[in-house]
Amino acid sequence: MTAARTRRQQKAVAGPYGKVGQAVNELDDRLGIAKGGRSFLDKIFPDHWSFMLGEIALYSFVVLLLTGVFLTLYFVPSQGLVQIPKNFTYRPLRGQWVSQAFYSTVNMSFNVRCGLLMRQMHHWACDIFVGSIVVHMARVFFTGAFRKPRETNWLIGGTLLILAITNGFLGYSLPDDLVSGTGIRIADSIMLSIPVVGSYISFFVFGGNFPGDIVISRFYTLHVLLIPAIIVGLVTFHLILLVRQKHTQFPGKGRTETNVVGSPMFPVFMAKTQGFLFITIALTAALGAFVQINPIWQFGPYTNISDISYAVQPDWYMGFLDGLLRIFPAWEWNAWGHTIPLEVFIPAVVFPGIVFNIALLWPWIDRKFIAKDHDLHNLLDRPRDVPRRTAFGAAFFALLAILFIASSTDVLANFFHISLNTVLWAMRVLTIAVPLITYPVAYAICVEMQSGGSLIGKRKTANVVMRTAEGGYVSVAAPYRAEDQHHELDATPVPTFIEGDEPAVDELAAATPGVRTVER
Amino acid sequence: MGMRTSPLRAVARLASLSIVGVAGLSWLAPIADAADTSTASTTSTTVAASPTIVVVKTLTPAERALCPTGTRATPGTPAEAKALMNENGDTARQNAGTAYSTVQCFNASGQLVAYGNQAIMYHLPLTNSVTLALGQQLYLAHCASCHGVDAQGDPAAGHAGKYPDLTGLGPATINFWITTGRMPAADPTDVQAMRKPPKLTGAEAAAIAAWINTLQPATPFVPSVNLSTANLADGQSLFALNCAACHTITGGGDALAKGTYAPTLHWATPTQIAEALRTGPGNMPRFTGNLSDAQVRDITAYVTSTIQHPSNIGGLGTGGLGPVAEGFIGLALGVGLLMLVTFWVGDRQ
Amino acid sequence: MTDQHIGGADDHGALDITKVSADAPQMQPLARNPESMERWIALLFIVGMVCFVGFIVAYWQNLAYWTYGAFLGGGMAALGVGLVAWGKYLMPRGPFVEDRHPLASSADERSALAAALVERGGGTVKRRKVLGALLGGGLGLSGLAILVPFVRSLGPLPGDTLAQTDWKAGLHLVDINGRRIHRDDLALNGALTVYPEGFEHTDNGTAVDQTMLIALPQGQNMPRPGRAGWTVDGTYTGVTLIAYSKLCTHLGCPVGLYETKLQALVCPCHQSMFNVLDGAEPTFGPAPRPLPQLPIATDAEGYLIAQAGYDQPVGPGYWERP
Repeated sequence: MTAARTRRQQKAVAGPYGKVGQAVNELDDRLGIAKGGRSFLDKIFPDHWSFMLGEIALYSFVVLLLTGVFLTLYFVPSQGLVQIPKNFTYRPLRGQWVSQAFYSTVNMSFNVRCGLLMRQMHHWACDIFVGSIVVHMARVFFTGAFRKPRETNWLIGGTLLILAITNGFLGYSLPDDLVSGTGIRIADSIMLSIPVVGSYISFFVFGGNFPGDIVISRFYTLHVLLIPAIIVGLVTFHLILLVRQKHTQFPGKGRTETNVVGSPMFPVFMAKTQGFLFITIALTAALGAFVQINPIWQFGPYTNISDISYAVQPDWYMGFLDGLLRIFPAWEWNAWGHTIPLEVFIPAVVFPGIVFNIALLWPWIDRKFIAKDHDLHNLLDRPRDVPRRTAFGAAFFALLAILFIASSTDVLANFFHISLNTVLWAMRVLTIAVPLITYPVAYAICVEMQSGGSLIGKRKTANVVMRTAEGGYVSVAAPYRAEDQHHELDATPVPTFIEGDEPAVDELAAATPGVRTVER
Repeated sequence: MGMRTSPLRAVARLASLSIVGVAGLSWLAPIADAADTSTASTTSTTVAASPTIVVVKTLTPAERALCPTGTRATPGTPAEAKALMNENGDTARQNAGTAYSTVQCFNASGQLVAYGNQAIMYHLPLTNSVTLALGQQLYLAHCASCHGVDAQGDPAAGHAGKYPDLTGLGPATINFWITTGRMPAADPTDVQAMRKPPKLTGAEAAAIAAWINTLQPATPFVPSVNLSTANLADGQSLFALNCAACHTITGGGDALAKGTYAPTLHWATPTQIAEALRTGPGNMPRFTGNLSDAQVRDITAYVTSTIQHPSNIGGLGTGGLGPVAEGFIGLALGVGLLMLVTFWVGDRQ
Repeated sequence: MTDQHIGGADDHGALDITKVSADAPQMQPLARNPESMERWIALLFIVGMVCFVGFIVAYWQNLAYWTYGAFLGGGMAALGVGLVAWGKYLMPRGPFVEDRHPLASSADERSALAAALVERGGGTVKRRKVLGALLGGGLGLSGLAILVPFVRSLGPLPGDTLAQTDWKAGLHLVDINGRRIHRDDLALNGALTVYPEGFEHTDNGTAVDQTMLIALPQGQNMPRPGRAGWTVDGTYTGVTLIAYSKLCTHLGCPVGLYETKLQALVCPCHQSMFNVLDGAEPTFGPAPRPLPQLPIATDAEGYLIAQAGYDQPVGPGYWERP
């Protein structure tokens, strides 16, 4: 019965879909994938460009994972001292006693082919990762995509941002160079500033007094194993929720609260998103090839803890903390034999705590104060239509932006030839003033855009100037050109079967009926 | 007054040496730098059993060769250093920037014209009637309007408190300020004079320095650094400990307190670096006595080779500004370009 | 254009078959000239393949650094742009629509789940409250117990060590190379990082004991009450040597930046400024307390020694700091 079948017999068994159909049958027998697989392939993804910002984050994370694996093959997470060989490529480091973490990183940069490329791609991908999370989160915020039923996804996303920032800090601290070592010293002091438990936290993290001999390898475990595992898990859950709840969409032609209009997963969305993955990798590779980042050999090792450099900053995503630490007044609470350094505790612990709590709890804050409804929302808001949320977000970002700028007070003073003291005072004033000004300005812009008619944000047509017979000039708006107008067809359901797409017909057999063709 | 050349000077020096050696004055600092960092040790005196006894040894031919032709080389003495003390005080440590160095070189008139060691040789600018006349003439033309006809300065004037008294600071000080272009000052009321293309040539600067030095002779003389014996690794760690706190670890300079700033190191010549270290211009600390000549040589080599020609093997350097610049590029070029790509890939409705 | 629903569509994905004609406008590619677009995309893919081969060649031949990333990036960019173009311009342009099936289950299902939890589960616990409470207690304690080794074994208790440095009476001041500092070593306006002798190469030495030795002009220092004898004068160098802790009282960065005319120590991290003539009192910036001062003296030969340790904990503030 199951003797060697002729091709025609096999074809008959397989049905009109050939080998693919056969594979589907086999898999479905074992895994039951047919129904779920089809609905998965049919899934519609709305096409708006701002929905792809999360993909930037996802794909830069993929780059982080791939390049990170390469790095772990060479990096030695140990603070044990080793002497750099006298014939090392980079002369100023020859013979110096440095930690193995530093040496393995510098060695990877100079002596491992593509090592420096992987290091730089990894670091650039991290900057892009955190940046795209922020941009993606801003899009979700301003369009109200965090509303019911997507609050859980918002919480996951906010947690991912915190984890990404933390992992970035841990990662660039691993090479144990002078600049990142200073950052670790500051982190230790921040831990110490926490009342009651601060010194315990510091001693537990460092295994004793600063610097100890174990903090780099503990950072390594967190950076390579624990936090990436949590991130991968959360990202997976984030995407599962997205698939299950389906993506939101802007209101428009044919779009309702109960449908999704866009491109199907297979083949269109898969092609576009896979292409975008490659483009993200390409951009990271280009940055890694042409723009240097974190040249730790120029900074030197952190073996002597009394070394310091001027103009040391953390990576950009920690910049808002550094800025607030610089401009905060020197308030210290000291009574009853205890000290709380408020000038550290408030900027570095309390403030980010408030910021991230507001961010994470925003769906509920929004529901209480802004939207005041408990409905399900699958259609997005245009930011101008929710002026209070938009203005609050703008003011929030303005505050963070000012704090970022405040972390470069010395660069500003140097560049503009202003006294550093003046710049610092200016930053203190701006930190209060700018958000307070941004809120009403943004609010007013939203209101104006609402009532400004349908021409706001659209490409303007040409003004045709005509001369009348009397000699005067009249300008008339020209009509839209065809290519300037957005033409969208009516949406159609995803086709299960495409009519007119017959399976391939043996033309010869069709042309000469009665003749039996034998396939060998 | 100025140093008078005397034929009896050599005899007098020998006598004072023995007196000094026997008397054991406490300001005779320890002779040897026992724990010098440089691998090529340049201190040539022996470690004394007690720091108060000076053991004078004869110079090796290599050390003799350090002196310019036509001068007489003798082992360095503290007395000479004391006689030529910088107005701001000096160190008693040997080979740490004063005339108390391994070798001292005297001309036929008995005037000290050079001193130093294998790491750095300090030379007095050429002092003869021609250069002195030129120096005075140039000084009167370019400097006297602020610093006075006799270089004594003007205490009350100027934004920074005074137009300084230029006498007794040593030729290296004058040479530094003129060859870096900071003087003549573009704006005397500025908090800090800026480096700019020098208005006077090196020879003119040397002439002015020579003339001012006759008003009140002092050290340091103009250094000439022997970079070939330098140890770059020592230079790097010394730079990180002593220099990076102001000039940044990549030497780009930055704004400091109240309108002052640490300048970038990218234009400094080896001589100017050594001069700055030995004279402490403006708000910069003076590294005489706390750094030996070997250490100054190592730092100078590190700055001129690595700081000024950084190893940017990873591509375009981001200006040495650190993560601020990198973050800006990552956001603008990285996230920004990818957002532009999303404009193309997605709909714009 | 036809969407025949065979079998009807209800809430939970009964077979929903749709047929669309291949001529439907939504099924057409977006490109005005699909054949030309196809050629461009093919060219891009070929360029991509060439780039990847180029990468392998660059690696094998050890070409300049930038070629690795350039070829890799170029290949990826070509593939990516080609693939996106294929998806955007050659595949059916859409748009397509699908219904959102309501997430919520029916009211019956919900009450069934609630019933399962409450009646089955709650009933059990309700009937055996004591057991439930004890189980809760056991689970809680098990979590705590597991946490204990993870947290407590991380490090020693801080004890008194935060308040201590290695400075003691009689210890010599040395530089990073272990060389003792003589009172006449520093010229005016000099600054030097010093450590207690024997500790200059230890972690604690460089981390906590680090001290800035500064040569001030004589007669300018205004010592705090009780600190009159804490400085050393040079014999003939015209200086007063004064020593302050190098650890900033804000966040512990080494305050290595000394501005001689302003007589200020400036912390490089967040620009706190300390007045050197007035006990390192902070005059600007976020630092809350002055830098502790190390009392120094000289031994018989004139080398600098510490008279005692610091009179207060050095570095940033913490809860137990008095």
